[in-house]
Amino acid sequence: MSKMSLSTRMILVLTLITVLSGGILAGWDLVTKPKIAFHRLEALKTAIGDVLPAHDTYTSEETEFGTLYIATRDSSDDPIGFAFMAVGSGFQGELRIMVGLTPDMTQLTGIKVLEQIETPGLGTKIVVDPSNKQDPYWFPAQFVGIHVSPEIVAIKNVKPTHNNEVQGITGATISSIAVTNILNKQIADIQKAWASKGGPES
Amino acid sequence: MSSTISLKTEFVKGIWKENPVMASLLGLCPALAVTNAAMNGLAMGLATTFVLLSSSLMISALRNFIPHQVRIAGYIVIIATFVTVADRFLAAYLPVISASLGPYIPLIVVNCLILGRQEAFSSRNGIGRSLLDSLGMGLGFILVLVVLGIIREILGSGSIFGVAILGDWFTPWMIMILPPGAFLTLGILIALANWYNDTSRSKDGGVVS
Amino acid sequence: MSLFLLFFSAAIVNNFVLSYFLGICPFVGVSKRVSSAVSMGMAVTFVMLITAVVTWLIYHLLLVPFEVEILEYVSFILVIASLVQLVEMFIRKVSKPLYDTLGIYLPLITTNCAILGLALFSVLRDYSFIESVVFGLGAGVGFTLALVIMAGIREELELAPVPKYFQGAGITMIVAGGLALAFMGFAGMI
Repeated sequence: MSKMSLSTRMILVLTLITVLSGGILAGWDLVTKPKIAFHRLEALKTAIGDVLPAHDTYTSEETEFGTLYIATRDSSDDPIGFAFMAVGSGFQGELRIMVGLTPDMTQLTGIKVLEQIETPGLGTKIVVDPSNKQDPYWFPAQFVGIHVSPEIVAIKNVKPTHNNEVQGITGATISSIAVTNILNKQIADIQKAWASKGGPES
Repeated sequence: MSSTISLKTEFVKGIWKENPVMASLLGLCPALAVTNAAMNGLAMGLATTFVLLSSSLMISALRNFIPHQVRIAGYIVIIATFVTVADRFLAAYLPVISASLGPYIPLIVVNCLILGRQEAFSSRNGIGRSLLDSLGMGLGFILVLVVLGIIREILGSGSIFGVAILGDWFTPWMIMILPPGAFLTLGILIALANWYNDTSRSKDGGVVS
Repeated sequence: MSLFLLFFSAAIVNNFVLSYFLGICPFVGVSKRVSSAVSMGMAVTFVMLITAVVTWLIYHLLLVPFEVEILEYVSFILVIASLVQLVEMFIRKVSKPLYDTLGIYLPLITTNCAILGLALFSVLRDYSFIESVVFGLGAGVGFTLALVIMAGIREELELAPVPKYFQGAGITMIVAGGLALAFMGFAGMI
């Protein structure tokens, strides 16, 4: 070792460490990559399953406003529903919501907030409300069957009377309105995108 | 010089006397960020300990070959490698925990605790001693993270490790699982540790250990 | 998200130090004088900007095309460490006064989790090049802001009768808790 000059040794040792590191990681990548891809796909499938009625399979279609998932049954090619990921600003940061729509894209079949960093205990009620023991999922559940036109409205303090209204969360008005704003904007986008691809509204 | 210190001392010091978080204020970022629930604290502590142990093993084994001038570069490559291993392991086998810890697992790379132990200990001691030191430090780190996690989870969500223990009468203190709760809890814990050390010192007859 | 909102969010609403706990070490260690806090903040902002640019290029032009995303952490930390060294050498050559102000803080920056955190968040949130740079700038400004406010409070604290066991790290944490609480008031502005 002492015969080698210092710089040779530095380069040699660092190269050795890097090669070792690369080797370990390459091996580990082979082991873990399929598992991680599997979990991602499972998570996507579950989310789509949660917002759409029972279906046998789904295909994905790239549009200018993101990926549209088209669910069908084995018995027919007619779509039984559409799902897509809506992304937008919540109270403190980004919200990612899986949205399910009926085949004519006029009614919601369900929504599920997948990612959020809202205020725990208030804004997080858009996902689950532990203070409501009978029905902790009351907020996302109300969106089932809601009409998207002219627009979805979150109302305060009174019970919803129209088919495009949901009840906002007390103490988390901004989070509630953020959800409806994201839905209104992006449902309109996805309707346009689907229409331009020869969908039902063309 | 270091060989005069017993192996037991080498192991035990990290748990309380030289506890990385309480005494040296190292690794504060994960200690504050992920302790909104006890489970997250435990997972973070275990992942950090794994990285600490494997890096120490490798660095103490290579300590005579790594030239002094490039040691830091060598250390961070080794640390980052094991962090990637831990991160991918969680993503592949424990996806729920991986999702809740998010980017704080890769941030173990810059946890001063790990680089600090390599620089101060593993680069100067044999494999056995380095592993004992790392294990002690790791346990000390886990201890603090789990205690912080338990306190914040009980007060902030009324549960421990996800099991509800406080009944309906309890209104959770939301603030505890939010960032301010992390700072306040750690501040109070540090003060309590100071108080405990102080009183136990005076019982020993005022000898500063 | 518009670029202004992104900047505002990184600097204030989701402040790196007070809501993501990134860069706590210098926050506790360096923030004892307002003047040194300003210098440290400037050094960090500067390195953050360069890091945002370089790590974005490395990730999108090197790691993704060659499908070696698994090397993300190793390459990021190596790049950050080398960048810090280069910046230090460059500043020393170019400006002696600047080196005297920023230089001593630079070695500390390598293990500042805010820098690596910045690079990781950019990848995680799929930011475009411009967004990454704005995010880096916002995070740097937010870091400086938190550091300077903290230093100001600690200068006052030296004259305050802090309870014995809270002196040092304890009171710093309590003050940081109060600051984090205050910054929560900005939520909802984005």
